[in-house]
Amino acid sequence: MEQWPDRLTNLPTTMVNRTLRSGQSINSDGNVVVLGDVNPGAEVSAVGHIVVMGALRGVVHAGSTGNENATITALELVPTQLRIATHITRPPDGSNKDKSYRPETARIRDDEVIIEEYNPTK
Amino acid sequence: MGKVIVITSGKGGVGKTTTTANIGTALAMLDKKVVMVDTDIGLRNLDVVLGLENRIVYDIVDAVRGNCRLNQALIKDKRFGNMYLLPAAQTKDKTAVTEEQMVELCDKLKDEFDFVIIDCPAGIEHGFRNAIAGAEEAIVVTTPEVSAVRDADRIIGLLEAAEVRSPRLIINRIRTNMVQSGDMMSVDDILSILAVELLGIVPDDDAIIISTNRGEPTVMDDASQPGQAYRNIARRLCGEEVPLMTLTAKKNSFFSRLKSLFSGE
Ligand SMILES: Nc1ncnc2c1ncn2[C@@H]1O[C@H](COP(=O)(O)OP(=O)(O)O)[C@@H](O)[C@H]1O
Ligand SMILES: [Mg+2]
Repeated sequence: MEQWPDRLTNLPTTMVNRTLRSGQSINSDGNVVVLGDVNPGAEVSAVGHIVVMGALRGVVHAGSTGNENATITALELVPTQLRIATHITRPPDGSNKDKSYRPETARIRDDEVIIEEYNPTK
Repeated sequence: MGKVIVITSGKGGVGKTTTTANIGTALAMLDKKVVMVDTDIGLRNLDVVLGLENRIVYDIVDAVRGNCRLNQALIKDKRFGNMYLLPAAQTKDKTAVTEEQMVELCDKLKDEFDFVIIDCPAGIEHGFRNAIAGAEEAIVVTTPEVSAVRDADRIIGLLEAAEVRSPRLIINRIRTNMVQSGDMMSVDDILSILAVELLGIVPDDDAIIISTNRGEPTVMDDASQPGQAYRNIARRLCGEEVPLMTLTAKKNSFFSRLKSLFSGE
């Protein structure tokens, strides 16, 4: 599978150049790139992909209108909840302590949200 | 021209009023001319913490509405001649003061005082809007609890949107032994989420409760550990560089607790 399916990468991209704090939200018809963190209590929703150049700790929804090719990538992926298209996942209970410091991507594969190490060449 | 600093938190009960009273008193002890303004209308208690309740005649609502002159509403402290309190109204409506009136009030006060310290009510509604309206700087108080940090984050977002200059953080009620056993968020945990400048850390200490009940801010007690923390914070507000206090756990401190927890700022 392609990392960035063309149909989505061609959408307009919103750059958010600050940290989204609790209570703040972004809703986009295209892709969203956050140059900062998405804190617990903050939300990002995008028709396309979501990329967070920081820690993703809040709730994000990629492919918000149902596109299952949408992905979520963050330098530190420790979300409260991840949604892609109609799939909703959250970290297993009690796992919020182990931190990942590696960039990771969440995507749908075989009808399930999976998280894998970010790999730009794949 | 003085500085107007609002002390805020979002969540109630985390130590805004305690912080206001202690920073205000510590600044007065550094010979600064200080006024503390209680904007928690209907839940006035800064006067009690400062031991000045029985001197109140007029309050902030009287002052902004012109029921009295501003100077008549200002209560001079019984210990320090350079420290004043503008008390909140206890029996009036929460919406009795407007944002414009607060801006005007702060402008007047900063002509006369080196520091105007504003004690903010809990929440993000009218009272919060009023409290920050005339402020140029903000100090956000949190405790090392997930819910308090979450509210602090919300407040920092609102302060940034209102263009109150880069808020600084006080972490109150730290318990070193609980941090060491992994049962409490550490300073680093909190800073990694809030990402603002740390102004100080204050230990959880019974001395606060005792001093609050007596109406004598704990900074007046030389031996008090939270008192020392607040004195350091006041010096930082005056532009001095004071290293963070090394907090050591109270029990078993001899053997296992020698490591300083708060090395990074
Ligand atoms: N560092 C501390 N150690 C122990 N008790 C504290 C400390 N800080 C605050 N308290 C207590 O917590 C309660 C709430 O503090 P207060 O300053 O009134 O909070 P707020 O103004 O934010 O509602 C008070 O009873 C106070 O004595
Ligand atoms: Mg209070």
